[in-house]
Amino acid sequence: MTIEETTFSRQTELILKKFGRKKENLLPVLQAVQGKLGYLPREAMLEIARFLGIAEMDVYSVVTFYNQFRLNPPGKHSVRVCLGTACHMKGGYIALDAWKRRLGIDVKQTTPDREFDLDTVACVGCCVLAPVTVVDDNPEGQVEPTRVDGILLAFERQRDEQADQENR
Amino acid sequence: MRTISLTINDQRITAPDGDSLLWAALDNGIYIPNLCSLRDKPGPAASCRLCFVEVEGLSQPVPACTQQVREGMVVNTKGLAALRLAGTAFELLMASEPVTCGACLANRNCELQKIARHLHLSLKPRHLKRLLHDLPVDDTNPQFSYDPNKCVLCGRCVWVSRQKAGGVFGFANRGFERVMTNFYNGPMGEISGQVCCECVAVCPTGALVLKDEKL
Amino acid sequence: MKGSAPAVIAAAFQELKSRAEPRWQELEDTTRSVILVGAATCGRAAGAREVLQALRNEVKKRNLDCPVIEVGCLGHCYAEPLVIIRKPGYPAICYGRVNTVIAEKLVRDFVLGDDPCYEFILGALEENDLIPSFTDFPRAGYEKKLILKNCGHIDPEQIDHYVGNGGYAALTKALQMEPVGIIEQVNKSGLRGRGGAGFPTGQKWQICRGAPGRLKYMICNADEGDPGAFMDRAILESDPHSVLEGMIIAAYAIGARQGYIYVRAEYPLAVHRVRLAIRQAKKQGLLGRNILGSRFSFDIRLFQGSGAFVCGEETALIASLEGGPGFPDYRPPYPATSGLHGRPTLINNVKTLATVGPIIQNGADWFADIGTEGSTGTAVFALAGKIVNTGLVEVPMGTTLRQVIFEVGSGIPDGKRFKAVQIGGPSGGCLPESALDLPIDFDSLREIGAMMGSGGMVVLDEDDCMVEIARFFQEFTQRESCGKCTPCRLGTKQMLEMLNEIVLGQSRMKVLETLARLAEDVKAASLCGLGKTAPNPVLTSLRYFRDEYEEHINRGCCRALMCQELIVYHILPDK
Repeated sequence: MTIEETTFSRQTELILKKFGRKKENLLPVLQAVQGKLGYLPREAMLEIARFLGIAEMDVYSVVTFYNQFRLNPPGKHSVRVCLGTACHMKGGYIALDAWKRRLGIDVKQTTPDREFDLDTVACVGCCVLAPVTVVDDNPEGQVEPTRVDGILLAFERQRDEQADQENR
Repeated sequence: MRTISLTINDQRITAPDGDSLLWAALDNGIYIPNLCSLRDKPGPAASCRLCFVEVEGLSQPVPACTQQVREGMVVNTKGLAALRLAGTAFELLMASEPVTCGACLANRNCELQKIARHLHLSLKPRHLKRLLHDLPVDDTNPQFSYDPNKCVLCGRCVWVSRQKAGGVFGFANRGFERVMTNFYNGPMGEISGQVCCECVAVCPTGALVLKDEKL
Repeated sequence: MKGSAPAVIAAAFQELKSRAEPRWQELEDTTRSVILVGAATCGRAAGAREVLQALRNEVKKRNLDCPVIEVGCLGHCYAEPLVIIRKPGYPAICYGRVNTVIAEKLVRDFVLGDDPCYEFILGALEENDLIPSFTDFPRAGYEKKLILKNCGHIDPEQIDHYVGNGGYAALTKALQMEPVGIIEQVNKSGLRGRGGAGFPTGQKWQICRGAPGRLKYMICNADEGDPGAFMDRAILESDPHSVLEGMIIAAYAIGARQGYIYVRAEYPLAVHRVRLAIRQAKKQGLLGRNILGSRFSFDIRLFQGSGAFVCGEETALIASLEGGPGFPDYRPPYPATSGLHGRPTLINNVKTLATVGPIIQNGADWFADIGTEGSTGTAVFALAGKIVNTGLVEVPMGTTLRQVIFEVGSGIPDGKRFKAVQIGGPSGGCLPESALDLPIDFDSLREIGAMMGSGGMVVLDEDDCMVEIARFFQEFTQRESCGKCTPCRLGTKQMLEMLNEIVLGQSRMKVLETLARLAEDVKAASLCGLGKTAPNPVLTSLRYFRDEYEEHINRGCCRALMCQELIVYHILPDK
């Protein structure tokens, strides 16, 4: 095991201590582990299967069934483009295209610098502000392509400021 | 155990109380197309949607696997409405099957061929588009080979592997991407422990075949 | 189990009420100004949190004795963020589209000064001589707020506000009744499940109560997955205790000791508020052992769904709660007799449960008088799409689509023409103008091929292409199909392929027959509700808008100019 993998299993172990060894805890356990690690590495899944006393395949089945779970490391910031009905009609797919173009990645991918990951979501229930993009848990309304540029610019500036402060 | 008598296609048969209509028919030599059912498996998966029959008193065709036999039940397995639904399900399956029977080890021993004959349908559907998965064939296991393209997701091997081999097989993903696989979609050669021949033997198509059959 | 010692229960409730009084008075205070900010997810997306902060800063800067309270969703989402100011001597005034600059101005000019800032007023909450009130709006004549009564008026994170405004009185009353008496009331009220199918709620309770076995479960289905529907989210974010109260009453009626509330993880704020509400209810003795001093004990656990539309189907929801993928199972047996871990399990939707309290409180007859004979009570709709007043509305069953869209929703913006309304999400259908005068209830919608669904209503105008809308829903159900049964897994995919070719102008007329036939078969042969209803958008649009399909195929054109591949540019030579 690499150092990273060892840390993963250790961190998973710590989280598992809070749960009972029942199969019905599988989803909450996966949610907690992903909440900590950002995704579900292979080692964590093995650890979870061992802990709950279920087949490894059962963990994998669940992880690949639900939209929420990730097999790959996420970016620092998450971008979720809503493609619900209202967003679709008001150009959600145009917003998605803009994100893809500006980030240079496809859906369910992470930028090479691990800054952003891009995904879609069925509906976040903010239909009246369509098209909506959820950036780091904050729903942003009326995200037209220019707004995409605006949001990315804000992150860039934030990063520059941080770099400036560090240099000082 | 109490026995129940019922009528299928004007033929009087008896079946043990609690039996499913599908197995009551099959045990009495009346064929109803099916893929996801197994004699020993309790509770049907009801997923292949091929065993539609018409039951007197019910307005719509129903899957035979989810019906328990009832005293005096009158069943027709040849009703047009039922055959239409079974036919659609079959055509949908075949539109996503490679249909390379000549080169398939399950040729002439394939449930799909049997069903096509029974429903008087061709193996290649006429109205639907071919939607293939194009997944790689996994030949890494010394005992068997696995061609996911031929899999109809009946779940028979998954159930047997759960009974006999600790559940190495299972389903991953969902919707059109749903696939029978093992942990982390790894090569079948990496499966820890023995996979019993039974898991492979229950496959109704040529998706899972034993290697010595191949020799 | 008998609701023992009514006096003990009543006394426990009185104590609860007096504990809630001080904080409730703070909200109801008529001697000083109070500011309320609508900060549910929709408000937050429009900037409500910044407005809240600006208001608090300004109040602090000016040393004002004026609480700034976060409330839920008032339903007027078109004008978010909303701010309500109550000032002695004025009616409560609601301001719309408030930004930080306006927020500061409101504190300065109205709370401190005496200028109500007419230019930002949306309406007053009560009738008065000074300012036009919401009751003067045409929509007031149609709306009837029963489930949404508290939404936007109380702080959802304060149990004291809920109790202060009459909350948990219904539970108190219920605990003093016999469980069968409660079920009788619910039966008599005619309440039908608000999750979409409209099964009589009382009957479901009765079956579950009568099912053998001592261990039973009560589940609240808050896995609202319809794209374009947000009623359940708004209720959970704005008034979570109303749902908990309904759950406790239901559990008492059927004899369950353990409950679950299954909320989508995509609703983080709802998850947070429900979790908080459960904790508060436990602390106040409304959950846990011997609720309100009675012999009834019940607990609720929050369970987060992980993003799968199919989990709104009750057997899939149970599979998910048991720790597996959300694959549905065939029915019968229904969960009411064999559900979670094989035990009798009652599953009710958020809105159904939020309705239970008012029914117990006001009586079955009161409820049965609202709505139509076959569908009593109110319907909550989420208005979205091409409509002026997007947001939440609650109207009596039997209100017509025209009234909801043109009176309550103020019609189509930008002078465009109404084309269709998509009702019930991916399980529902697209209805044309000719259906507008139909009184909406469970049965009337089913008759014309649609479904109440969970209540999403998306209005489409002349710029929307019906084929593209059908394609969108097909793409959605295809993506969300669990893949267990053949017709749904492969049938929805085939249908989507056909629709994709139609919108690209690469199809033939013969395909329409194949499409219609396949849609009917998927509807008849699928295993669960998702598959059985997935073809509805296609079937209804084929039925009411067949000419648009034919236009795409025969003439290669899209009259709404939505299908980009079919747009042809002509250069006029003489210009």
